[in-house]
Amino acid sequence: MPHDPLSQTFAALADPTRRAILVRLAEGEATVNELAEPFAMSLQAVSKHLKVLEAAGLISRGRDAQYRPCHFEPAPLEAATDWISENRRIWTERFDQLEQHLKRITHDNDNNKETEP
Amino acid sequence: MSDAPTELGELTITRIFEARPEVVFECMTTPAHLTHFWGPIGMSTPLDGITIEPRPGGRFETVMVNDETGEEYPTRGVFVEFDPPRTFSFTEADVAGGMTTAIVFNDLGDGRTETVTHQTNVPPMFLSPEAQAGLETSFVKFDAYLATL
Repeated sequence: MPHDPLSQTFAALADPTRRAILVRLAEGEATVNELAEPFAMSLQAVSKHLKVLEAAGLISRGRDAQYRPCHFEPAPLEAATDWISENRRIWTERFDQLEQHLKRITHDNDNNKETEP
Repeated sequence: MSDAPTELGELTITRIFEARPEVVFECMTTPAHLTHFWGPIGMSTPLDGITIEPRPGGRFETVMVNDETGEEYPTRGVFVEFDPPRTFSFTEADVAGGMTTAIVFNDLGDGRTETVTHQTNVPPMFLSPEAQAGLETSFVKFDAYLATL
């Protein structure tokens, strides 16, 4: 697993079960037992997914030794969507400027043509 | 301009340009052209900071300079594909844990070109159809959730 936070977020989110767990937790906290039930998975398998989500900072676990309920932590997800919108902005502005550049160079060509008979 | 729905870890931008694919491709892969448009608003991309080795495995490097502060933002890419005027792609190992950008140039046949730019930092092994399908539905829900925060 990559170590920078953004890659960890994307890698954690790449698994459909982990995304489903997060969607469930976005509705409210839940224990491992409550999470395992709808997915027909062993507690061990769910725990593995929870560890990945916790390492990515996407969930936090309660301190109650017996239940340790899981909470959804939206901050890394916001960082991921920020990254996407920032890149979208850069490429949009870049292409706006390319459009202008293309206009300039094709306009120059037209001018050159006009000087020909 | 039309954008595909945003998916996690991915970005797709579709644009139509009033020029043939040969011209658009050349603009995007030639330093003398790139310097005119590569930096987003507020950033310049000086010609002497651009390195392009037009072949798979070749370097694709730029330095964007903040017009106000003079701060420099170097990018170090390596071409994966270089197939003029159809497509090129490059990877940047030091961006967000490794990012790949692929641009496809579609000839619209009327002197215009549609470019589809796809950027992802999700490792290819995660990009199965199942993962993709799940990604989209979950993201719609998350988006709605984030909007309520």
